[in-house]
Amino acid sequence: MHTMNNLVITHYLFPAELFAEAQPHVVSTVLGSCVAVCLYDTKLQIGGINHYMLPLWNGTGLASPKYGNIAIIKLLERMEKLGSNKANLVAKVFGGGDVLNKTGSSSSFSIGKRNAQLALDMLAEHKIPIIAQSLGGNHGRQILFNTQTNEVRQKYV
Amino acid sequence: MATKISDKELLTLIKDRLSEDLHSQKVIDQLNDELKEMNSKLEASEAMKSHFISNIANEIINPFSSVLGLSKAILAVDRENWKKVISMVALIHTEVFNLDFQFRNIFMAAKLEAGEESPSVLNVDMHKLIENVIDSFKIESKKKKIKIKHVFQGEHNFKTDPEKMKLVISNLMSNAIKFSFEEGDVEIIANHEGNTLNISVRDYGIGLSEKNRLTIFDRFNRVDTGINSNNRGHGLGLSVNKAIVDMLSGSISVESELGQGSCFTISIPEIDVPELGYAPNADETFFDLSEDAEIF
Repeated sequence: MHTMNNLVITHYLFPAELFAEAQPHVVSTVLGSCVAVCLYDTKLQIGGINHYMLPLWNGTGLASPKYGNIAIIKLLERMEKLGSNKANLVAKVFGGGDVLNKTGSSSSFSIGKRNAQLALDMLAEHKIPIIAQSLGGNHGRQILFNTQTNEVRQKYV
Repeated sequence: MATKISDKELLTLIKDRLSEDLHSQKVIDQLNDELKEMNSKLEASEAMKSHFISNIANEIINPFSSVLGLSKAILAVDRENWKKVISMVALIHTEVFNLDFQFRNIFMAAKLEAGEESPSVLNVDMHKLIENVIDSFKIESKKKKIKIKHVFQGEHNFKTDPEKMKLVISNLMSNAIKFSFEEGDVEIIANHEGNTLNISVRDYGIGLSEKNRLTIFDRFNRVDTGINSNNRGHGLGLSVNKAIVDMLSGSISVESELGQGSCFTISIPEIDVPELGYAPNADETFFDLSEDAEIF
C-alpha cells in the first residue's frame, strides 16, 4: 500500500477478491475476461468493488467470490455492513473482454460475455442503476476506482 | 403397419432392456451407499465440532483468566519487586501470543470455509520470513530450552502469499516446539529449487503413531496425548495448513515414528499467474492513469 498525492490510500484488488471500506481508497485492478462491479453509495460517499472470474457458482465446492453471483451478493452485504442503504447505491461495470480470442471468431465459451451479462442481470434484479459501463471488446483493462468520488479511470491494455 | 421383428432381434432387445434396468439399480445402490457414507461423515463432523467448541472454550477462557489474574497481581506488587513483575509480564506475553495465534487460525479456518480467502501473491523474502517466525517463538522455545536450527538453500525470493505462508510455518513451528522434549532440537530446512519451495520442520519429540499420522490433517482432530498432558491446542492448525497449502497448489506430508519425532514437509510451487492473461508483478499493482485514460 502506498499513497497517491499523499492523500488517498491505494489498494490492489486481486482476482476473486472484494474490497469495501469506509476510508477513501483508490483501488486498482486489471481485468481480462473478468468483470469488476463498482458500487457507490451516493449518500455516504463510500464505494466498494469486486473482481470475479466466472459467472456462476455451480453449488459445489467453496462459494467463493471468484464467481459473479457470489461476488455481487457479498459486495452488497459488505456495503450494507458499512451502513449503506441499497436504495442509495449506483453501479459501474467494467471488463468482460474476449482477450483470448483476438481474431474475431465467435467463441461458444465466451466467459467475458457471460460475466458481463450476469452483472447486468443481477444489478437489474436488485434495482441498482448502472450509471456507467465499459464491457466486452477484445482488450484487457486497467481500472482505477476512487471510492470517495466514484470516479473510475480506465485504460485498455 | 407393424414392423416384423425376428425372435433373435426381440431377444437382444429384451436383453438390452434388462441390462439397462440392472444398471440403473446399480446406480441407485451406489448413490444410496454414498448417501449413507456422507451421513456418517456428517455425524462424525458434528461430534468433532462439539469437541472443538469445548476445546476452544478452554483455549480462550484459560488464557484470559491468567492474563486477568496476572495483571491484577502486578497492580498489587510492591514497588521494588521488579523481578516478580517481569516474570509475570513474560507470562502475560506468552498467553496473549498464544491467543493471537489461535485466533489467527480460527479466523483463517472460518474464512477458508466461507470461501473468502484467495492467495495475495507478493515477491517474498522467504529466508527473512522464516527468521521472523523463529523470532516470534523465542520465548516459547527458551522456556523448553529448545535449539532451533534454520538452513535455507537457494534463492531467498519466492512469489507466494506471505501471510498464509507465515501462518503455515508458525503452525508447524508451534507443533514442533509443543511436542519436543526439554532441551530438544527443532530444524527448519528450506530448499528453493526451480519453481518449487520445500520447507521441512523436524522435531525429535514424542512423534506420531501410524493411526494418528493418517488423521492428523483432519479438522478439529488433535492427538490425544493423555489426560495429564500439558499440550494444549484446538486441533485446527494442521487442517488450516492443509487447506492453505491446497489453495497454493502445494502438498503437505509427514514422516514420523512414535518416540522418535516428526518431520512435516510442505512443498509449494511459485505462483505466477493470478488471472488468465494478465499477471501483474507486486510493483506493477498501481498504474498511473492520470493521462490518456477514459473517465467514467
